[in-house]
Amino acid sequence: MSDATADGAGADGETTVAEEGSLFERHTTRAIFAATTVASVVALLLAGFLFPESLAGTLADVLTSENTLAAALRLSVPIAFAALGGIFAEKSGVINIGLEGLLIISAFGAIYVADLTGGVWVGFAGGVLASTLLAGLFAVVTIKFRADQIIAGLAVWLIALGLAPFASQVIYGSPNTPTVATSPSIYVPVFAELPFFGALFSASPSVYMLFAAVFLSWYVFERTAFGRWIRASGENPRALDTAGVSVTRVRYAAVIISGVLAGMGGAALSLDLGQFTGNGPTMVNGKGFIAIVAYLFGNYNPVGAFLSTMLFAGLDAVQTVLQLQGIGIPRQLIRIAPFVVVIVVLALVGRTRLPEAAGENYETEE
Amino acid sequence: MSAADRARDALERLVEASATERILISTAALVLSVLLGAVLVLVAGRMTTCTAGEAVYYLGIGFCYDPVVVFDRLFLGALGDPLSGGWSPDGQFSVTLRETTLLLFTGLSVALAFRAGIFNIGTQGQMVVGALATALGVSWASSFVSGALGTVVLIPFGVLVGATFGGLYGAVPGVLKAYADANEVITTIMLNFIATGVALYLVSGIFKDPNSAANQTVPLPEFARFPAVLFGGRQDFSLVALAFGLLAVAALYYVLEHTAFGYDVRTSGVQPDAAEYGGVDAERTVVASLGLSGALGGVAGAMYVMMVLGTFQTGIPSYGFDGITVSILAGNNPLGVGIAALLFGVLKSGTTVVQFATDVPPQLVGVLRGLVILFVAMPEFFRLLAKGLPGVGSGRGPEAAATDGGVVTGDGAAGDDGGETDE
Repeated sequence: MSDATADGAGADGETTVAEEGSLFERHTTRAIFAATTVASVVALLLAGFLFPESLAGTLADVLTSENTLAAALRLSVPIAFAALGGIFAEKSGVINIGLEGLLIISAFGAIYVADLTGGVWVGFAGGVLASTLLAGLFAVVTIKFRADQIIAGLAVWLIALGLAPFASQVIYGSPNTPTVATSPSIYVPVFAELPFFGALFSASPSVYMLFAAVFLSWYVFERTAFGRWIRASGENPRALDTAGVSVTRVRYAAVIISGVLAGMGGAALSLDLGQFTGNGPTMVNGKGFIAIVAYLFGNYNPVGAFLSTMLFAGLDAVQTVLQLQGIGIPRQLIRIAPFVVVIVVLALVGRTRLPEAAGENYETEE
Repeated sequence: MSAADRARDALERLVEASATERILISTAALVLSVLLGAVLVLVAGRMTTCTAGEAVYYLGIGFCYDPVVVFDRLFLGALGDPLSGGWSPDGQFSVTLRETTLLLFTGLSVALAFRAGIFNIGTQGQMVVGALATALGVSWASSFVSGALGTVVLIPFGVLVGATFGGLYGAVPGVLKAYADANEVITTIMLNFIATGVALYLVSGIFKDPNSAANQTVPLPEFARFPAVLFGGRQDFSLVALAFGLLAVAALYYVLEHTAFGYDVRTSGVQPDAAEYGGVDAERTVVASLGLSGALGGVAGAMYVMMVLGTFQTGIPSYGFDGITVSILAGNNPLGVGIAALLFGVLKSGTTVVQFATDVPPQLVGVLRGLVILFVAMPEFFRLLAKGLPGVGSGRGPEAAATDGGVVTGDGAAGDDGGETDE
């Protein structure tokens, strides 16, 4: 934790000036963190090329390998989809902490439907539907019945955490499902031969859908009236109401969209492997929570959320490769690295600016 | 509405919300969850296959699982079948009390933090840390003392070690929240994953019991474990531990309601801005509340090691997450935690009975846990429901409207958390 963060945190809240000061410092910390990351990666790569035999050489090898990029992209898919969903919900004023649950339920739903029908894409749709239904329930509970968003979100997580292994146990006799067929990767000739970046052109369809979703989300927020409504619903619901747009409807739509997006992430996660694993924290294993950190760190910007997801996922990909190479650090410790990084990032970035009305229930005065 | 107004509203609602209403909502939530659970059992019973002879019939439709049997086993089974005669305290009933004891501590841990307006989702991790520290500490200390003296010395020592390490681990998100504004919901969840990962590393390597195939520490000697009083030793339950748990309930109630620290905690939970103007050191209160909350989680871990397992083993059951349900069900009131812990003790203990007596997967209880939280979170739902019932709604009239927000503790806390302090 830097002194700047601590000071910024301590000074804010009193006056507008102090508030702006801390905001500035937050951006600075964020920029410094990003710059430091980039600089250390570049330094590592340089050292690696100069001394290929050293530890830096091995690490540089891992970082520049096409497999690492491919793995990072694959690992990004569920986190980034969930993060995009989280942005929609939270920008509209509903903190959706149940993203983890939405990922779990869609991961199982996708496998179940794919197994039932034999179609990968039908399964994908099934997963999205499962997640959307659960998100719809969450929306009704928080918007209509004005439940506490954090507690209801926890409930969504815990319900899915119990329900998916329960269903798997009922249907397949085990918390893990059998394996179903996976969809083949899309292979762009010529481009896929490129060194390193070739991974971008021979990825699973879900990676391309993610790129499309990131761009679409950005477009919706920056260029459409609906995007402006969502922002207003989170920042100043009364003004939106006065302008004649129903806050309730905007929030329902935003939460449902968060369910659809998280559902795409969960379905892609399990269909990528062809199996749902329901033991312990399930195969989702905290990705929904990392997604929350990703969009906080990306400052509610879809592109920012995607880039910070790539940071976490890249780390995860590197640790997987390092594990395989047996680089001396114990496997169990490398595995917790992404969680540690999340905490360090949160400590450095500190409070992000939540939408003004996030977490609050809005009552129209009719 | 300004931030201060909202907070004042929450405070007023907290004062006005009657305890009766909170109890009603919790009971209704529980009943509804059981009903929904029954529907789930029926639906699941349609999705699985069984022979026609095993099926039960409701309204002419065959189901493979019978919800009546499931809930009979879940509740009566957990109590050791008091209706069947020949009831003995040594049976399933002592398992229920064992689960209750552990849930008392995790429930209190979550409740304390919630009262301070902090969401501690990390009780699970704090419990893991406390359990591992206790197992290692007591195992080290047990070479110096033995016999009855050993028990008298080692048990308080083990609890203290668990509380210290759990407390320190709980203080980490406290410090991060107080001085770096890191959202505690995220940090505590991440710290859960980290605690499990580090514990797995330590127990599968340095501290592994060389004589065991499982990832566990060297078993503690018998004298370093909670003695079984009145109850047989087979179910790993100790009345001493339960008594200690009840003492903790009373102590936390006293601390929250009758001490200056408790006042600080409660006011920061309901109205952080006013609390700070009133001279409450917000940072210190956050760290202290989360530290104390973590200490209670750590004690749960110590109990688990010294009462139940006799060693630390990876894969500690989710008492921490159940503690969240217990606390929410209890309206974050320590006395309520006593009752809610017993209820969830029944559910947890009944799960094993259900597993033996029926084919229904035990994850059902996990779903019930989530449903209970969901229902308790929406008092508005029950108010609308009550309005729909003739005779119930009319008697309450405007007063019911005034007591808006049954679990206001949680309500106010979240509103403050998301809305004002985090901007």
